[in-house]
Amino acid sequence: MVTPAISKTENLLDPEFIVRLERLEMVSKKIFRGSMRGERRSRRRGESAEFADHRNYVVGDDLRFLDWNVYARLERLFIKLFLEEVDLHVNIMVDVSKSMAWGKPEKGRYARQIAAALSYVGLANNDRVSLYSYANGLVGELAGLRGKRLLPKVLDHLQSVECDGISDFHTACKQFSLRHSQPGILIVLSDFFDKGGYEAGLRLLLGRKSDVYCIQVLSPDELEPQLSGELRLTDVEDDDVAEVSMSRALINRYKQNLAAYCRGLQDYCTRRGMTYAMTCSDVPFDQVVLNVLRRRGLFK
Amino acid sequence: MNFLSGWMPIALAAGITVPPLVLLYFLKLRRAPHTVSTTLLWKRAVEDLQVNAPFQRIRNNLLMWLQLLILLLAAVALGKPIFEGSRQTEDTLVLLIDHSASMGVEEKDGRTRLDIAKEQAEAIIDNLPSGGKAMVIGFSDRATVASAFETDRSVLKDRLDSIPQTDAATTLTEGIALAEAYMQNLVIAGDQAGTDITVESSATPARVVVLTDGNIEDAESLTIKRLPTDDMQIVSIGERDDNVAILSMEAKRNYEYPQMLEVFSLVRNFGPDTVKCDANLYINNKHVDVQTMELLPGYTQTPVNENSGEDKGESNNPPPASPVKNRIPPTGSTASVAFDPIEYEGGGVVEVRLTVHDAMTSDNAAWTIVQPPRHVTVLEIGEGNLFLDRVLPTLPIQVKKMTPDEYERADESELAEAGRLKFDLAIFDNHSTERLWPGSYIFFGGVPKVEGVSADRMVQGGVIFDWDESHPILRYVGIGKIMVHQWLNLQLPQQAEPLVEGEDAPIMALLSQDGMHFLISAFSLVAEDEITGQALLNSDWGFKPHFPVFLQNAIQFMTGSLSFKGVRNVRPGNPIEFAVPEGTDEISVRRPDGFVAKVQTASFTTVNYAGTRKVGVYTAKPAIEGREQYAVNLFNGVESSIAPSKVLRLAGTNVEAKASTEIVNKPFWPYLLLAILAVLLIEWAIYSKRVFV
Repeated sequence: MVTPAISKTENLLDPEFIVRLERLEMVSKKIFRGSMRGERRSRRRGESAEFADHRNYVVGDDLRFLDWNVYARLERLFIKLFLEEVDLHVNIMVDVSKSMAWGKPEKGRYARQIAAALSYVGLANNDRVSLYSYANGLVGELAGLRGKRLLPKVLDHLQSVECDGISDFHTACKQFSLRHSQPGILIVLSDFFDKGGYEAGLRLLLGRKSDVYCIQVLSPDELEPQLSGELRLTDVEDDDVAEVSMSRALINRYKQNLAAYCRGLQDYCTRRGMTYAMTCSDVPFDQVVLNVLRRRGLFK
Repeated sequence: MNFLSGWMPIALAAGITVPPLVLLYFLKLRRAPHTVSTTLLWKRAVEDLQVNAPFQRIRNNLLMWLQLLILLLAAVALGKPIFEGSRQTEDTLVLLIDHSASMGVEEKDGRTRLDIAKEQAEAIIDNLPSGGKAMVIGFSDRATVASAFETDRSVLKDRLDSIPQTDAATTLTEGIALAEAYMQNLVIAGDQAGTDITVESSATPARVVVLTDGNIEDAESLTIKRLPTDDMQIVSIGERDDNVAILSMEAKRNYEYPQMLEVFSLVRNFGPDTVKCDANLYINNKHVDVQTMELLPGYTQTPVNENSGEDKGESNNPPPASPVKNRIPPTGSTASVAFDPIEYEGGGVVEVRLTVHDAMTSDNAAWTIVQPPRHVTVLEIGEGNLFLDRVLPTLPIQVKKMTPDEYERADESELAEAGRLKFDLAIFDNHSTERLWPGSYIFFGGVPKVEGVSADRMVQGGVIFDWDESHPILRYVGIGKIMVHQWLNLQLPQQAEPLVEGEDAPIMALLSQDGMHFLISAFSLVAEDEITGQALLNSDWGFKPHFPVFLQNAIQFMTGSLSFKGVRNVRPGNPIEFAVPEGTDEISVRRPDGFVAKVQTASFTTVNYAGTRKVGVYTAKPAIEGREQYAVNLFNGVESSIAPSKVLRLAGTNVEAKASTEIVNKPFWPYLLLAILAVLLIEWAIYSKRVFV
């Protein structure tokens, strides 16, 4: 079943919330070298107003950076070094597989709301924002956006993507890694219910030296299933069937398994320096953005 | 709680029914479809639970548990659970069921005593431990084995049901003997086949249960050899005691006016209340006369006192327990009914019927057969007997005289007709002959030359030892006052009925053999002198006034004018002897209930029909004229005294009868069925409300 794209009338972000987002700025635990000059200080020496150090002139240096005052006093040629200010790559991967269209409230919309908010924060801070949506591979891409005037484009893109297909996180990560070599912040929004496993995909992302945030979005029906009787459970993605006789014991066992699954993802992320956050689609997404992710150190 | 059937049926039933139910729940296909984001975790959860608990599917499935409970309850009910654990140790049971006339009494609930006895016997059979065997014997005037030792209860019950109601008397001797014989065979045919082990040492003790209303004729003279009498159980059946019975009946023609029929009857009240009733006289089903009578109570209900059991029979109001209670009827409880003489020249069935609503119906009517009046033809064979020649012409009979020589030379057509004697009676005086046909004969000083009868010598100066005054032939005859010079030393077959006894041999006797009826007197009134050949006086009987009386009695008796005891008036269960016309292969006997029985004659002159278990008139066809009908009457005071005995004197010991069978084991399965119903209701309620699926 193809889930229709979110209608244009349904705004992913409301104006009041956008105003609150403007105060935020994304930080990266690592300082990455951008390809273009930006508003972020980097360890790289480059062109900026902030002095860093001197070094001896060697042939071929740009004569414009000679420190003539030092030459006047010491008669030796020194080159002035400045800290270079670079832009930040903010990459957001949104899971748009069919399972994300499930749940009340729908996980897919919730994830896209978060993605839109994060994109806006990046755009507002003149970061280089790239949006990727994936299912059984990358299905949508909006790369290299900068400046908050491009927010409507972001929103249009997010609203136009349909939730369909089987989730294949590993393939998606592989494709992402090949296309995107720049380090930066990578935010993955997904339920991480991938029958192929999330480990291989996450390992590929680590290889890009990105600052990875895994935000697991679950629905209340997944956390607290309200099921009873003899059921024929069908997987929304691959039509896999599980026949179950609902009982208190089975539901308890399911919850234990879900908790263990989430804990396993958290442990995997923590051990590899990734940040993990789990949220439920009935928690207001602005709280997640303003509080949860802030506590996780994504914003300052 | 115990199980009569043991644990096997329960285990079997549960084993057969429970696994399929559980399996059905496993295979239950009706599952509601439901979509989830991923089955990943659910499958893992199911696998985990299946590893930890293989039966997790059925856990908390209330409906299935309820259905399992129903199945288990039903399985337990199959095991015939009982309260109170005194499981019977005897596995061998002998059931003696009384089916005599008194068992036909209809009790207040509309069932007969025999029905009640059968029901109680079925309860006893149901109470048998598994593997126990029982034997069913029905007894009345004779005993029949309804079922030999059998373990199959349904077969036992079928056989029990087949015991018929009879109108016969009650005797237990034969029943006990049968049971003992079967017990003996059981042991010999059992494990120790062929060994000489006595019953006492090897047989499982059998419990004997007698279901009867207690009116047993031979209870006191009963001898029990092998059966354990200590725990013999007498179950007293029935409660009613109101009964009025006809104890005897006679219809005879006036000797002087043969067209006048006189009917007498004796009626007795056996009940505790005064009864007013009518005795109706019917001739060939036409109502002729009615007599009204009032009968005082036959006994008064007194509490049974076991200590005074010895003299019960002697008191005027004997308690119902005593088997001799009917010997001395209380004053006013009996009535002799003499109907007004009726002018009736035909033959047929005379019936006396009481209009009374009492418990027992088979003794409320009595029948007898009367013949049309006719002159009796008598053939007198002799050399001339002064006394016979004088007396016979005075009687209303036709006499033809012959000398012995003429008799022996006479053509058969002169003497016999259709293979029978042409005359109603032949009187031989001092002549023995073998020229005899079926018929009636009186011999004076001679014998019929038939098998088993002989006279080897003369007895002189002997003493008349004893005589039967009560016999119709010797009624009003003073045999003790006569003198006889000499008589023949008679040798008679066993079935002969002696009327006058000498020191060594009978002097006068009745004998019935091959359709011939003989009255044999060993002496004649005159004897021929051996030397002179002159007729000499042998006895002074001829001068006595009672000689004509004797002759009249004898002629009446031998020609059937009087009721011939044991021939024309039969007790239930006794055989009827039908005379067969010559050349008849088969006669059909119509019973009172309408059933027609075929009897093969096998070219005999008489045939016996023994199926006389019910009272009424039995008619044979074809038959000798005037001998086609016989009446079977109860005429039994012991049977008619229907009050059930509470104490039986069996084989010399008093045995107290119980009101009903002592069923120690109370069945529990009805409660289980109720529980099943209740569980079913609960299940239905849960299913319809879907409280918990």
